[in-house]
Amino acid sequence: MLEVLHSLLFSTLDAAPALVFAALGAMLSERAGVVSVGVEGMMRTGAFCAAVAALAMPTPTAVLVGMAAGAGIAAVHGYLSIRWRSDQVVSGMALNLVAMAGGTFLLESLYGPNGTPAITQLPRWDLPGLSAVPLLGALSGHAAPTYLALTLPFVFHLLLTRTPLGLRLRAVGDKPHAVATLGLSVSRLRWGAVLGGGLMAGLGGAVLSTAVLDRFEQHTPAGLGFMALAAMVFGRWTPLGAFAAALFFAFGNALRIGLASSAPWLLDLVPQGFLLALPYLLTLLVLALQGQRGHAPAALGTPYEQESR
Amino acid sequence: MSLEDASLDILPGELLAVVGENGAGKSSLMNVLYGLYQPDAGTFLMDGKPVRLKSPRDAIARGIGMVHQHFMLVPTLTVAENVVLGREPTRRGLLDLNRACAEVAATAKRFGFQLDPRARVDTLTVGSQQKVEIVKALHRGAQVLILDEPTAVLTPQESDELAQVMRGLVAQGRTVVLISHKLKEVLGVADRVAVMRRGRTVAVVRAAETSVSALASLMVGEGSRGAALTGVPATSAPGVHDSQGEHAGTVTAGPIVLEAKDLRAKGDNGRPALQGVSLTVHAGEIVGIAGVDGNGQRELAEVLTGLRALEGGGGTLLGGPLAGLTPTLAKARGVGHVPEDRLARAVVKAMTVEENVALGRHRQPPFARGPWVDFKGRRERATQLLATYDVRPPDPTVALQALSGGNQQKVVVARELDAEPKLLVVVQPTRGLDIGAVAQVHARLREAKARGAGVVMVSLDLEEVLALSDRVYVLYEGRVTGHFPRKDLDERELGRRMLGAESDHG
Amino acid sequence: MGERTRQVLPSVLSVLLALAVCWLIIAFTRDADTATRAYLQMLWGGVGNWPALLDGGSSTTVLRPLGEAAMKAAILTLTGLSVAVAFKVGLFNIGAQGQMIWGALAAALVGAHVALPGLLHVPLALLAAAVAGAAWASIAGVLKLKRGVHEVISTIMLNWVAVSLVDNWLVIGPLRAVAEGHQSSITGTAEILSTAQLPRLLGDSSRLNLGFPLALVAALGVWVWLTRTRAGYETRAVGLTPEAARAAGIPTLARAGGAMALAGALAGLAGAVLVLGTEGRYPGSLGAPYGFDGIAIALIGNNHPLGAAVSAAVFGILRAGGTRMQLLGVHKSFPELIQGFALLFVAGRMVWLAVLRRRREQPTGEQPTGEQPAAEVPAAEVPRA
Repeated sequence: MLEVLHSLLFSTLDAAPALVFAALGAMLSERAGVVSVGVEGMMRTGAFCAAVAALAMPTPTAVLVGMAAGAGIAAVHGYLSIRWRSDQVVSGMALNLVAMAGGTFLLESLYGPNGTPAITQLPRWDLPGLSAVPLLGALSGHAAPTYLALTLPFVFHLLLTRTPLGLRLRAVGDKPHAVATLGLSVSRLRWGAVLGGGLMAGLGGAVLSTAVLDRFEQHTPAGLGFMALAAMVFGRWTPLGAFAAALFFAFGNALRIGLASSAPWLLDLVPQGFLLALPYLLTLLVLALQGQRGHAPAALGTPYEQESR
Repeated sequence: MSLEDASLDILPGELLAVVGENGAGKSSLMNVLYGLYQPDAGTFLMDGKPVRLKSPRDAIARGIGMVHQHFMLVPTLTVAENVVLGREPTRRGLLDLNRACAEVAATAKRFGFQLDPRARVDTLTVGSQQKVEIVKALHRGAQVLILDEPTAVLTPQESDELAQVMRGLVAQGRTVVLISHKLKEVLGVADRVAVMRRGRTVAVVRAAETSVSALASLMVGEGSRGAALTGVPATSAPGVHDSQGEHAGTVTAGPIVLEAKDLRAKGDNGRPALQGVSLTVHAGEIVGIAGVDGNGQRELAEVLTGLRALEGGGGTLLGGPLAGLTPTLAKARGVGHVPEDRLARAVVKAMTVEENVALGRHRQPPFARGPWVDFKGRRERATQLLATYDVRPPDPTVALQALSGGNQQKVVVARELDAEPKLLVVVQPTRGLDIGAVAQVHARLREAKARGAGVVMVSLDLEEVLALSDRVYVLYEGRVTGHFPRKDLDERELGRRMLGAESDHG
Repeated sequence: MGERTRQVLPSVLSVLLALAVCWLIIAFTRDADTATRAYLQMLWGGVGNWPALLDGGSSTTVLRPLGEAAMKAAILTLTGLSVAVAFKVGLFNIGAQGQMIWGALAAALVGAHVALPGLLHVPLALLAAAVAGAAWASIAGVLKLKRGVHEVISTIMLNWVAVSLVDNWLVIGPLRAVAEGHQSSITGTAEILSTAQLPRLLGDSSRLNLGFPLALVAALGVWVWLTRTRAGYETRAVGLTPEAARAAGIPTLARAGGAMALAGALAGLAGAVLVLGTEGRYPGSLGAPYGFDGIAIALIGNNHPLGAAVSAAVFGILRAGGTRMQLLGVHKSFPELIQGFALLFVAGRMVWLAVLRRRREQPTGEQPTGEQPAAEVPAAEVPRA
């Protein structure tokens, strides 16, 4: 039993980082008032660029390339939605479509349908003291992103609640005009949040192709970006909430995959489809129960116009 | 928003009031002073040296603070967080909230405000929120404090308190610029008064050497009669007293169209807005509802048109119960409505003029035939109405948003009157209109009355109320504090009641 | 520049620019010649190889590609309409995909398990699909109207719920086709009866079926409904200015809910056209994300029902032609990239309009701008999300 739990925990921690990073990225952007439905596309771009870069350079550097690529997509989103006040959902969905088809096209024309060639994965670290301890041992043997994913949410929490920048970001998502009248730049804050969100989403994607897998596959990230959105909403737009939700969703996934191999009879009782649908159903349920706009930032999705109040 | 050739000198340590009609450019001028708008031309001197304010940051750096009419507070943050936003105290890179609270408490105390720095702003009363705004500016070291229509949302007590606060600031050597259109209030507190008209500063006078009527005539321009207490457009040029003769004969009370008893309703903020309003309206009369903004007038109009649910009380409206009224029901009984916020409530600006003419009656001839839109009938009726009401351009196929505000309002009035309402509820029908359009709208309201409609007219413009009403109810904090038939109308007494003074009679 | 031009021009320019950008992408990854030949293949694959026909080729060289294009255009039209109708009432329906999934499943089930004469079978299957799609969309509608849940979030969630439940449970579990003999390897639901198939319009030479005219009728119907009926007028008013609509006595909740249900029904019909027209069953998964494509189609079509039909026709042609691009080693999903870029450029419509306006104003710089409130750029006709 302990062994089962250990392996469940282990695979949860292995799979969670991408979701955690993307959820944090989406949260950062949305807390500043910019809708982040394009996170799937940013992840895909990050995953692709990281995999391609890893063919030519050390994998850790390639991860940085992936992050930059995510930020690149976010920059387009920012240009359209901040500079030109375009509809943020349209812009995000457009980027998703471009990333989806563009990724497929580039992959096929450069490497063929089976994905990029295999790359060196990020190294896994054994934590010598821990590996022997029951359960806690599941913490050992992961690549760097896992440990980053376990700390970054707290950093984000600190950033949002305890720093001047965090205060300004929260203010700009709730009432941009108040921020503007204090002489702060609304668009600069939003740009920062959108680009930061892109970096995080790109990181999430890069992790998929450098730590979870060893290549970019045609369907990456296969809806994980949308699940990150769900985690963000489920976590009520807070770093720790999104973190907990992402872990929970990742655990659900690990459980499903684990059940499929170890206890298929259970899946006859509770079909896989239900387990797959669970994160989304739970998110819907939470939204339905808390009603109204929930805990979404008040100015979310509203372009800032200087001369309107 | 328009300014042309506006000049203004602000002296240190004075309380300068800037008055003018709506749209005279007061707020625009102040937004230029605060760096929010950039002027196309002109200079700005501070202590004799030219300065350019590119953003509020520059203004703040030079000691200018502004309290906006619509508060610029982040509702989900605390008082202290709102005050320090943008210049947060830190300790080792982290926000030092304790110090922020202490600093804010100290600033508040220094100027005599009672504020809990740890309270979330959305839990505060409007008056307290305004104090947060003032503290916000003072905390940034503002030597010049601009207050844009600060009393519009305040109760009279809060307004009095604010007046004391402003005098206190001046006594400490700071400069206060007060933007207002409430002349009486301004004269009670200001040292000097600058008058703006159509984007220009037309006069600057010492408060001690002028009067309400003198200021009012400056505001509306030469030759016009002075506006009274509130001083918004001098409307029908002939003036109040000339039109009395015309009224005298027409006050023949028809049957009762509205009898409301003890109406109670909540405002948008969830607080009681109507606390027992009773009134009657007869066919063939105009009943004015006077009061300072935010005393329940808007909610009353919404209750009468079915847009706001009653919490208590009731009565009859055009033969049916007032309780449970919906917009559809109200329309069916013959209630017409010219709401205050035209673009949000009365029109669909992206639709064409003719589509807007049909709005509300789009299910009946000549606008519909069965389930279908009757294009021909609609076009004919719209064209005819545009001609009758002198809407320009008289083209029913252009988008409504292509029309000027005055012409948009004419479309709304035309539409509502064309439905031949038995009860017409109008709110601020001439706000922001030019004088020609104002006169036309007023004439139409008189016509509706002559035709036998009961008209309820809510206006913040006392001049307008005095000019048109056969009877006037005064609302104060959701209660009727005065009821005057036309013959007893008295500006002074109305003003007293608007500020909450009760009386033995009436 | 007339009002109509101003509405159509950004879309046309966006599509052209997207075509150009994507040509460059092939030219850079391969070479210019390949890019041009790939585009020609895409064209012949979409509208038919007319030169070959004129050279005496058989009519199939034109009819078959056109049939493929029409088939894709039909589905894109319906999902595009779904998104456009929701937009008209101010809602952003990201959920056409999920609604389409349920519609496809309903059509597949009715098609396979109900025995009826053809004259009734097809309409019943279509109706079932429309009802299923409408029901799924109504969940988002109710959540929005009763609980204030933002429809963008809820429809995204509902998409994944639909995918999970249908593709990962029903279709591989309880509803999977019963294996018969050597056919045991098939995935998806049982094959529909021949009576439920959408009739082919050109016999065997082309897969053109009733779906295409059906989609056109739907587009026309939606247009008539929106512009000529009281209900459509009310729906538009609710979408543009809900408070004014309420004050005018329009039942806003009913109109919004109704439009959302109609949007779902249209997406459901798209699923039915796919299943009854080409697939013959609910396959293992729906394949292309037609529901998401609907967003692009609707917005490129400027949220106008007929505009959506036109943009669906354009992209139907490109996407049917995409399969022929494979001959040159360009992936068949390439037209989706063009579509993605076109949507991106439409999202940047404000940029277009600003550029155009600057160009127009430069020669006559002294035009008084104050007198033209109409010249204010109409914010892309999209509700704020």
